[in-house]
Amino acid sequence: MTLLKREEWQHLVREVDWTLSYVDDEAVYPEWMSGTGKVPREAWAKWEEDYKVSYPEYVATQREKESSAYAVKAALQRSTAWENLSEGWKSSTKMHFGGVTLVESEAVLAELKMARFGLNGSWRNMAVFGALDEIRHAQITLFFGHEFVGKDPQYDWTQKMFHTNDWVAVSLRNLFDGMMVTSNVVDIAIQLPLTFETGFTNLQFVALSADALESGDVNFANMISSIQTDEARHAQQGGPTLEILVEHDPVRAQWVIDKAFWGSARAFAALTGPAMDYYTPVEHRKQSYREFMEEWIIDQFVRTIEDYGLKKPWFWDEFMKGLDTWHHALHMGLWYWRPTLWWKPTAAVSKDDRDWLREKYPNWEKVYGDKWDVIIDNVNRGDMELTLPETLPWLCSMCHLPCCVATLGYDNRWRVRDYPLKHNGVTYHFCTAGCRQIWWKDRDNLNHPTVIDRFLAGEIQPMDVGGILGYMGLTPDVMGDDPDYSWAADYKDRLIVPRVPVAGA
Amino acid sequence: MDHPVGPVLRMCDEVESVVAAIRDDNPDIDIDVVDRGSYVRVQGPGRVRVTEASLQRHLGPAFELRSLQTMLSSFAGRIHTSSDEISWEWATKREGARA
Repeated sequence: MTLLKREEWQHLVREVDWTLSYVDDEAVYPEWMSGTGKVPREAWAKWEEDYKVSYPEYVATQREKESSAYAVKAALQRSTAWENLSEGWKSSTKMHFGGVTLVESEAVLAELKMARFGLNGSWRNMAVFGALDEIRHAQITLFFGHEFVGKDPQYDWTQKMFHTNDWVAVSLRNLFDGMMVTSNVVDIAIQLPLTFETGFTNLQFVALSADALESGDVNFANMISSIQTDEARHAQQGGPTLEILVEHDPVRAQWVIDKAFWGSARAFAALTGPAMDYYTPVEHRKQSYREFMEEWIIDQFVRTIEDYGLKKPWFWDEFMKGLDTWHHALHMGLWYWRPTLWWKPTAAVSKDDRDWLREKYPNWEKVYGDKWDVIIDNVNRGDMELTLPETLPWLCSMCHLPCCVATLGYDNRWRVRDYPLKHNGVTYHFCTAGCRQIWWKDRDNLNHPTVIDRFLAGEIQPMDVGGILGYMGLTPDVMGDDPDYSWAADYKDRLIVPRVPVAGA
Repeated sequence: MDHPVGPVLRMCDEVESVVAAIRDDNPDIDIDVVDRGSYVRVQGPGRVRVTEASLQRHLGPAFELRSLQTMLSSFAGRIHTSSDEISWEWATKREGARA
């Protein structure tokens, strides 16, 4: 028997919309969930995905993916592969397990919302596959992380992290709740599949896999690159949605992309940036974070949005300048506030590391070198208490990351600037002009209070570092520390110039 | 290269064969391969295609086109899938997109 080709029958199962007669369309696809806005309801009839797949194909292909990923895991479980990984690289994976597992789970909700409220049957069908994908991702990430819990309690945060009030959890919940849960499905499709999955997840799941493999972590490289094969498919829900939205409401399309792009860029600077440029041992770094961003975001994603007739986001200059600063400052902050982390951040500023950083980021030494020198001298003198926090950093009211972005002023000096905004009698502070602008445009949204807001409101008791760590759920067996401080030994003969206060300085 | 498009393949045994199939299916253009270890970016200018027939020549007659999805971590360009081939195309402005 000759089977029909997929394209000869697929329209029958893709196009399953019919005219409702017992209820109003609005009752089934309410505006607050479906979010058609200025787009006429009938315009969604031409929604068509480029990446077509049938259910039998989907099931057969997913089975192959799962068999292959678990076969590699089973083989490596009997080896000493994990024991031979550097602590720096292991931290990249701990950060990933804790930071990503429950976001995958949250993405199930986003896909299910599109599967129910999407304005075209084909879209809803794609979203069902997307929901099945994200269930797979939550499970595989949880399962792979679970293997190591017995060896190192920090891996327990694979499942635990999002249930705590750790400042990273608060920051990521704020970003992803807005992207995946509180939005209507049109905005979800623009933010999640289009901006996040066509753009940024490639960085954490494909680009980072290159560093993983170089670092000897075959298992992790295999897991994340397998996950991204699903993303490559269900991310294609974004294109047709954007195509229709751009035609009827280009201003909304541009704004939703811009907002999701900025939030993603800030989060990735905090997580992927340090993993690529510091935690991956210098000899195993395939490219710098900036170079991977250029490959995956600047070239590939910008080409995609221009393909749809949209422009680069309004904050483009600030974002591009930030590629040389954001993640370096955040790395230093993560290291300094290391007891608040569930991984062991290596400072990675040995002489070899610094040579590499200077080559990749010509301003690195000028902006960050002298700060690390102070830390290095304290470490080499054994003044460890001076390298540990006594207070909290100010957290940005939009991205919830520390306000630590240095910019070059007209006087040719690098300074960390505050971007304040007064609203209803309250002065809010932001890390960048981009965060301030987005918060202002979205000010009627529910924004999570930052950990600093909670601290100042007296929600965190006792009001000291111990109280803060307890609030965040950190226990002594988990809280982060530099794995060995060995990088400081390179400088033990460094001439230490006493820091003499100078009048007027 | 102008308008580079094409698949990004994850690490697996079949990468070389898939690249060979892509070269067979696009005889008139230069196919550029960027190897980053865990992933390989395969790209050509404007439009790149790969057919099930070519994949079967290089990977055996049992290979199904859909199995390429297990290797396809990402791609550049607009994808088009049919039961015989997958292509990636540099799209100019989409229909309905603003000028």
